[in-house]
Amino acid sequence: MAMSKYDLTPRIAPNLDRHLVFPLLEFTQERQLYPNDQILKAKIELLNNTNMVDYAMDIHKSLYHTEDVPQDMVDRRVEVVARLKSLEEAAAPLVTFLQNPNAVQELRADKQYNLQMLNERYQIGTEQIEALYQYAKFQFECGNYSGAADYLYQYRALCTNAERSLSALWGKLAAEILMQNWDIALDELSRLKEIIDSKNFASSLNQVQSRIWLMHWSLFIFFNHDNGRTQIIDLFNQDKYLNAIQTNAPHLLRYLATAFIVNKKRRPQFKEFIKVIQQEQHSFSDPITEFLACVYVNFDFDGAQKKMKECEDVIMNDPFLGKRVEESNYTVVPLKDEFLENARLFIFETYCRIHERIDMGVLAEKLNLNYEDAERWILNLIRTSKLDAKINTQTGTVVMEPIHPNVYEQLIDHTKGLSGRTYKLVSQLMEHGQAQAAR
Amino acid sequence: MASKFWSNQADSETESDVSDHEEDYENEGQDDANVPDPNKYRIGDSDSDDSEVKRVVKPLKDKRFEELSMTIEQMKNAMKINDWVSLQESFDKINRQLEKVMRVTESDRAPNSYIKALVMLEDFLNQAMGNKEAKRKMSSSNAKAMNAMRQKLKKNNKMYEDLISKCRENPESFKDQEEADEDDVDDGFSSVSTEPSIEDTLSDVDVIDVNQLVWTTMMNKKDKLIEKQFKDPSQVTWDTVNKKYKEVRAARGRKGTGKLEPVEQLTFLTKVAKTPAQKLQILFTLVSAQFDVNPGLNGHMPINVWKKCVQNMLVILDILEQYPNILVDDTVEPDENETEKGTDYNETIRIRGNLSAFLEMIDAEFFKSLQCIDPHTRDYVERLQDEPLFFVLAQNVQSYLERVGDHKAAAKAALKLVELVYYKPQEVYGAMRNMADQSDDNIEESRTESKAFVNTPEVVPRKPSFPTSSRELMDMLVSFIYAHGDERTKARAMLCDIYHRAVSDEFSTARDLLLMSHLQDSVQHMDISTQTLFNRSMAQLGLCAFRAGLISEGHGCLSELYSGGRVKELLAQGVSQSRYHEKTPEQELLEKRRQLPYHMHINLELLESVHLICAMLLEVPNMAANIHDARRKVISKTLRRLLEINNRQTFTGPPENVRDHIMAATRALSKGDFQTSFNVINSLDVWKLLKNRESVLEMLKNKIKEEALRTYLFTYSSSFESLKLEQLSKMFDLSESQTHCVVSKMMINEELHASWDQPTRCIVFREAEHSRLQALAFQLTEKLLVLAESNERATEARFGGGGGGLESLSSRRREGQDYASVAGGSKWQDNMSYSQGRQQSGYGGGRSYGPGQSYQNRADQSRGGYQSTRYGGLEARGGQMDGSNRMVSLNRATRV
Repeated sequence: MAMSKYDLTPRIAPNLDRHLVFPLLEFTQERQLYPNDQILKAKIELLNNTNMVDYAMDIHKSLYHTEDVPQDMVDRRVEVVARLKSLEEAAAPLVTFLQNPNAVQELRADKQYNLQMLNERYQIGTEQIEALYQYAKFQFECGNYSGAADYLYQYRALCTNAERSLSALWGKLAAEILMQNWDIALDELSRLKEIIDSKNFASSLNQVQSRIWLMHWSLFIFFNHDNGRTQIIDLFNQDKYLNAIQTNAPHLLRYLATAFIVNKKRRPQFKEFIKVIQQEQHSFSDPITEFLACVYVNFDFDGAQKKMKECEDVIMNDPFLGKRVEESNYTVVPLKDEFLENARLFIFETYCRIHERIDMGVLAEKLNLNYEDAERWILNLIRTSKLDAKINTQTGTVVMEPIHPNVYEQLIDHTKGLSGRTYKLVSQLMEHGQAQAAR
Repeated sequence: MASKFWSNQADSETESDVSDHEEDYENEGQDDANVPDPNKYRIGDSDSDDSEVKRVVKPLKDKRFEELSMTIEQMKNAMKINDWVSLQESFDKINRQLEKVMRVTESDRAPNSYIKALVMLEDFLNQAMGNKEAKRKMSSSNAKAMNAMRQKLKKNNKMYEDLISKCRENPESFKDQEEADEDDVDDGFSSVSTEPSIEDTLSDVDVIDVNQLVWTTMMNKKDKLIEKQFKDPSQVTWDTVNKKYKEVRAARGRKGTGKLEPVEQLTFLTKVAKTPAQKLQILFTLVSAQFDVNPGLNGHMPINVWKKCVQNMLVILDILEQYPNILVDDTVEPDENETEKGTDYNETIRIRGNLSAFLEMIDAEFFKSLQCIDPHTRDYVERLQDEPLFFVLAQNVQSYLERVGDHKAAAKAALKLVELVYYKPQEVYGAMRNMADQSDDNIEESRTESKAFVNTPEVVPRKPSFPTSSRELMDMLVSFIYAHGDERTKARAMLCDIYHRAVSDEFSTARDLLLMSHLQDSVQHMDISTQTLFNRSMAQLGLCAFRAGLISEGHGCLSELYSGGRVKELLAQGVSQSRYHEKTPEQELLEKRRQLPYHMHINLELLESVHLICAMLLEVPNMAANIHDARRKVISKTLRRLLEINNRQTFTGPPENVRDHIMAATRALSKGDFQTSFNVINSLDVWKLLKNRESVLEMLKNKIKEEALRTYLFTYSSSFESLKLEQLSKMFDLSESQTHCVVSKMMINEELHASWDQPTRCIVFREAEHSRLQALAFQLTEKLLVLAESNERATEARFGGGGGGLESLSSRRREGQDYASVAGGSKWQDNMSYSQGRQQSGYGGGRSYGPGQSYQNRADQSRGGYQSTRYGGLEARGGQMDGSNRMVSLNRATRV
C-alpha cells in the first residue's frame, strides 16, 4: 500500500512495550494503512503474551465474526484469574498497609528505617515487597495501569534492589504514558534518563539499547506534551543519544527533523543536524529528511516543493506526528499546519539568501500559495522585519536589500573578545601565583 | 689431524658394510648426491692406503679435482684476511678449472666441492656487505674487487641456483660428498673441512619428494634398523614403539642429526603406533619435526613437507574427533605412560600439544612461501592453489577448538580464515570456491595412508565448506571473533571486515565500523603487521569512497598515506630506496619479512591516481579561490609540491606516468578546460582495474565539470558583472539545475559574492573587495587573535587543567565566537539564519579571509589531523573522525 510506505510502526514497535504498541495499532487501524484483518491479527498476537484475555477474546470475535472463543483463550483466562488471586493474597499485607492512611504516615524518608519498621510492626518483609512488585506487574499486564502505577510507585519507595527499581521505573513510565499523564510521565522520563546516563551498565551495548528504548517511549510524551518539541531536540540531539540513533535507530531522525523544522529556536544545532542527515542518507530517508536535504544541500527548490507535499502525507499517517485535535466541528492536525508553514519559510529563506530579485509569481508557486496570499505573506515578513526586502509592484518582483557587513563593525567584533580573554588570563595567572605563594 | 678426525667417527656401525661398496667406488666422481647410500665413501677413511691404488686408475680426473680443491683452499685463506683481490683471482681460476673438471668427468653437474665453495663465497660476501664498518675501512682496490666479485658471483650463481639451494637446504649431503671427493683425491686435503662432525648417515636430498610409499626404498641404515625391529607387526608392542619414539625425540635437534631424518623415522612410527593416543603423540612430534625442516628464518618450508604437514594435522584432528576422550593440552606435563591407554580406555587422556600454535606455524610457512616465490611464475599460482587446503585445516581446527570450548583459540583460527578471505572480492572468492570443489580429487590421491596399526578413518571433512558469498562467510567468522577473540584478534578481524566491506563497495558501513571501533586511536600501539593492515584498510576505504563519488572522503583516507612518500612501506608492498637514510641489513631483512605476497597487493598506480585525482578535484578550485595568498589553506601538500616541480620544467613532454597525467589534467582544469582534463585522466590505463569502470568514469567526468565550473567562477568572477545561467551550463556541459545547484552552494558558503537575479536567470556579482587598509587591518586583528590564543595555550600548558583552566578557556573561546557572530549578525541571523558558516564568516565577509574560519581550523588542527572538508565530510560525526586519518608510520617502529 502506498500509504503505508513511510509507516514506521514496524520499526518502532520492537522498541516499545507490548502495551505501548496498542495506540500505534489503533492509529494505523484508524488511518487504514493496512487491511483491517491484519491489524486485528497483530493485536491478538500482541495480547497473547499479556493478561488482557477478555480483550483478546473480543478481538477474536470481531476478527472471525463468531461467538466462539478458542479453548486455549478460555483456559488462559482461568489461569490468569487464578494467578491474580494468588498474587493478590501474597501482596495483601503490604497493600492493606499502604491503603491505611494512618499507617502510611509512619513512613519516613529513610528507606532503611521504613524497612525495619515494616518488618517489626507489620511483619512485612522482603517477600511481601517482592510480591508487591509481581502484583503490580500483573496488574499492568491486565491493563489496570493506574493500579500498577500506584503500586510501582510504592514499590520504588521500599525497594533496595537497583535492578528491580529500574524495571519498576520503566513500568511506571509505561503506565503513565498509557494513562496519558504527560506531566508525570515526563518526570519519570527524566528520572529514567538520569539513571541510564549515570548508571554503570554492564556493557555499553546495554546502555545504548536503553537509550534507544527511552527515545522511543519518549515519542509518546514529546508529541503530546506542550513543551515536547523543544525537549525532544534537547534529548535526541545530545551526542550520546544522537550516536545511538545513528547506530541503531536511524528512523528516529524523522522525529528529530520534524522537531527541528517546527522549532524556530534551535537554529544553531541545525546545521550539524543537516550533516547527520546527509551521513545517514543510506540508512534512512523519508520525505521529511529529503526535504531538508533538498533545501540545504542541493538547493533544489522544485524538489523541495514536491517533498513538502509528500511530507504532508507522512505526517498525516504517523501516529505521533499526526495527532488530531477536535476543534468545534472539524478536526485539525496542528503539527501538519505548523510544519508546512515552517517548511515554507525554510524554502523562502534559503531562496532569498541566494537571490537578488525574485518574480512574485514564481515565488508564489514555490510557496504553494496564490499570488495574493504570497504578497501578503511577504509583506508580513517585511513588516515584522524578518526580511530585508522591498516589493516592486510594477515589475511584480521582490528585491532583496543587499547585506553588506560593515567592515568597521566587523573589525570591532573581531577584537571585542580579546580584552575579556586577556583579563581572564591575567586573573588566572594571579590566582595561580597566589596559590603558589600560599603554599 | 686428519687421522684423528676420521677416527672420531670410526665408531659407526658401518665398517662391516665397507667391502660391499668397494666396486661402486670408481664411478663416484660422476655420481651426484642422489646416491642413497653413504657407506661406500667409508672406504676412504677406514683404509686410506686403498685410495692410492685408485688414484692410479684415474689420474687426470683426480688431478683436476686436486687443483680445484687447492684453489678452494686458496680462497679460504684469502677470505680469512679479507683479501678480495686475490679472492677474485682465485674465483676466476676456479671457474677455469671447473670447465676442465667437467670435461674430464663428462658430467653436466658441477662437483659438490665447487658448489660448496660457491655457497661459502656467497655467505662470506653477504657477511662482508653487511658489515658496513669493515667496508668503509677497506682499501679502494679491495672494495672495488669486492664489488666486482659481487657482480660476478651473482651472475655465476644463477647457473647453479638449484644446486646451491639444495646445498643450503641440506649441507650434510654435500659435505659428505665433498669429503669423499677430497679424500679420494688426497688424504691431506681432508683437513680442508672446517666442520669436524660428519654424520655417517646420509640424508637424501630428494627425500622431500618421497612419498610415504616409496619410503622404504630410500631408507638409510638407521631406518633399516628400525624396519628390522618392527618387521613383524605382531611383535611390536607399545613399549618398543615408545622407546623408539623417545630415542628419536631425544636425537632431534642434536648436533649431527639431519633435519629430515626424524621426520622419516617418525612417519614410520606413526604407522606402527599401537594406541590412538600414542599415534597422536608421535604425530605431534612429527609435525614439529616437519617445521624444523625449514632451512632458516628467511627461507620457507619446502612445499611438499608443508603439504604433508597439513595432512598430518588433519590426521591429528581425525583422531581427536574419533576419540573425544583424548585431550590436547600444552599446560600440563602428561603422565609418562598416558599414551599406553588404548581405544577401550574411556577416561580422559592428556596429550601435550597446541593445535592453534601449529596452525599459526603452518599459516606462517604458507605466507612465507608466497613471499619467496616469484609471483610471475607458475609456481606461485600452484602454490596459491593450496589455499583451500589450508582453509579446510583452519576450519577443522576452529570447529574442534570450538567443540572443546577453547573459544579464544578458536577465534584465532577463525581469524586465519578471515585473513585468507578478506582481500578477495566476490569474483575471486567464487573462483577459489570453484577451485576447491574441483581440487577435491587431487587431495584424495595424495592421501594414501595405509597399513597402519591404528587406522584413522577420515572423520574430519577434507573439503572446505564455503558459503556462496564471501560476505556471508565474513559475517559468520567475524561475529564469532567479536564474541570470543582477544583484543588483537578482534582488532584485526575488524580491520579485515572494514577492508572487505570497502572492497565490496559498502563505504558507509565500512566507515561506521572504523569510527565506532576507534581503531584509529589505538592502532599506533599495535604490532606492525596490524598497522599495515590498518593502512591497507584505509587505502581500500579511500578507493571505495572514490568509486562512490565521495571525493573529499577519499582524499581524507588517502592523503596521510601519501604524505610521507613511503606508501610502499606503509602497505608492505615493497621497499623504497631512500637516498638519505640507509638501512642496516637487519632492518632490510625485517622489512622483507613483512612484505605481503603479491596477490594481496593493492595496485599502487591505481591508488596513486585516485589519490591525486581526489587532491586535484579539491585543490584546483581551492587554489583558484585563494589565489592571492596561496599558503592560507592547502588541502593537498603533495599535489602542490608536484605542481611546483612540474611548473619549474621548461618543457613539458607528453605525460608518461600517473603523475604526469594528473599534472596535465590539473593544468587543464585550472584553466577551466574540463574536456582535456578528463581526456587525459581517461587515458590512464589503471581504470581497467575497476569493476564498474563506466560509472566511475562518468562520475569523474561530472565531478571534473563541476570543479571546472567552480574554478572558472573563482578565477573570472571579478571580470563579470553578470553571467547567464544558460551560458554557464552550456560552457561546462552541465544541466541547468546542476549548474544552479553548484552556484547556489558557492553563494551560500560565501565563496562567491553574487546572487541570482531570478527573472532574468543571471548571476549578478557584487563587489566585495576590501581596500588595502582594510585588508591589513583584518590581518592585524587575526594576528592578535593568534597571539591571545597562544597565550592561553601557554597558560594551559603551564598550569595544566588546574582549576578547570583548560575547560573554561576553551569554552570561553567558543562563547566568544558565538558572541561575535551574534553581534555582527544581520537581521537574518537573529532568528532566521541557519547557517553556521555564515555566522563564522559574518565578520569576515567571506570565507577566503574570514578569520573565524581559519581560527576554527587552527583550533582543530591542534587536536589532530583534521581534514577540512567542504560539505558533510568524515568529521561530521561529533568529531570522531578527528585524527582518524592519521596513518600509521612504520618509521617509528623500525627506529626504536
